[in-house]
Amino acid sequence: MLSVALPTSTAFIREHLRAPLTLVLLVAIPVFFVLIFASVLGEFAEALGGTLASQSATAISAGWAAAFLSGTLAFFQVSSSRAADRRLAAAGLGPVRVAVSRIVAALAIGITVSAVAFLTLWLRSGIGHPFHAAVAIFTFAAIYIGIGALIGAFVKGQLEGSLLVVLVFSVDAFSGPQMTSNGLVSVTPTRNAANLLIAAGGGQGSPGGDWIGSAAVALGALAVALAAFWFSARTRT
Amino acid sequence: MLLRARTATAMAFRDQERRPLVLILLVIIPAYVITRSIAETLPTPRQIGLPGGVVVTTTMRDLHGAGMGGLVVAFVVALVGVFVMQSALEGDRRLVLAGYRPGETVIARLLVLSAAMALVVAVAAIVTALNFTAASWLPMIVGLALIGMIYGAIGALAGAVLDKLAATYLILFLVMTDLGVVQSPMFHTTPGSLAVLLPGYAPSRLMYEGAFSASFHAGGELALSFAWLAVLSIGVFFLLRRAVRVSG
Repeated sequence: MLSVALPTSTAFIREHLRAPLTLVLLVAIPVFFVLIFASVLGEFAEALGGTLASQSATAISAGWAAAFLSGTLAFFQVSSSRAADRRLAAAGLGPVRVAVSRIVAALAIGITVSAVAFLTLWLRSGIGHPFHAAVAIFTFAAIYIGIGALIGAFVKGQLEGSLLVVLVFSVDAFSGPQMTSNGLVSVTPTRNAANLLIAAGGGQGSPGGDWIGSAAVALGALAVALAAFWFSARTRT
Repeated sequence: MLLRARTATAMAFRDQERRPLVLILLVIIPAYVITRSIAETLPTPRQIGLPGGVVVTTTMRDLHGAGMGGLVVAFVVALVGVFVMQSALEGDRRLVLAGYRPGETVIARLLVLSAAMALVVAVAAIVTALNFTAASWLPMIVGLALIGMIYGAIGALAGAVLDKLAATYLILFLVMTDLGVVQSPMFHTTPGSLAVLLPGYAPSRLMYEGAFSASFHAGGELALSFAWLAVLSIGVFFLLRRAVRVSG
């Protein structure tokens, strides 16, 4: 399965990165989020009534960058490639292998974006628990791959789909732990991952509940993404 | 010519009517973001500098409400600009082949973009008004509308020359840098010296002037906003006209 999926995944990655500006922005945006936005995020969180310390705020900005970039990419992967994927599946690759190739491509780009965000964060402010932070940033990316792919599977229009990704991202970011004093939306997709990242940024370990919670949400999101890629590639009768 | 332009415009609006989710999101996103921003922010005192050297003391809550209005208008209208232009590039060449002039199809798309901008600005202004009383509404709304028009034009340019993924990333990058950080008085009393080079400088200064000052000192910023708008609009018109033109 993987030997067939890998060359196709490579082709899918090339498809998204053939515009040089896309590649530049995939690297520049995480760097920008961490270096510039993070420098003001501590003050911003304080204004919101949260208790996010400056180093933790810097860390959370890396997660948000990985989340938005991966979510948008996964949405466009499903939305732009639906017709081509059906043809690929019908031509013999099959919807499962198309879906696996798509998710491998999404994960490869998600890992790249997360690595850039992580390295920038590490170089800028140092990280007390680098492994925890790396896992948490990638968890943000994995969760948004699921969200983007799910939206792409059900919303055909690219404008409404990208606006929906923005809406989910806004609700999630505004309701993140310690960014808000208001528990209005207390169950959000990246809550556990944000707890991990905030703790790692501040040099603290995390309780097992946050690890289990973030792993469960990330794996669930990747399963949803796989199902969404399969749903889009399957042949209608 | 007028009849064809009118038909193209009616069809472009009908295309939007078929996608009610777009309309719903154009209302929900600004309403949610502005309401949450104001509700979540503490009324911590904050001193800011306005055009004409006026210094006022306000609160982070009011600054966040006003500022998020501009940011969400810019982001949403720019995204609409990207995708309206992507649709234009896909479909309008066929119209031109069928006998339409390129300018007629471009005007139809620009009217759709303007209508979306008007809707988002209206929602942003109404939601802001429910939570916050501006010192002078007219400059604030004009500032919001200019932010929408300028960023709508930037989105349209990005949509015309870039792949949709690159265009979406570019819009995020530009809006967050310009309006989210560089121009925001939540982080600087007045914008830094290089802030004037970015498209959001003039309209956001106008918007904050309306939000926090009862007197008007932002004539220069108003003129600069119109200059940005004129240059970008001319760019969008000619770029799109060239893009939909059929060669040979």
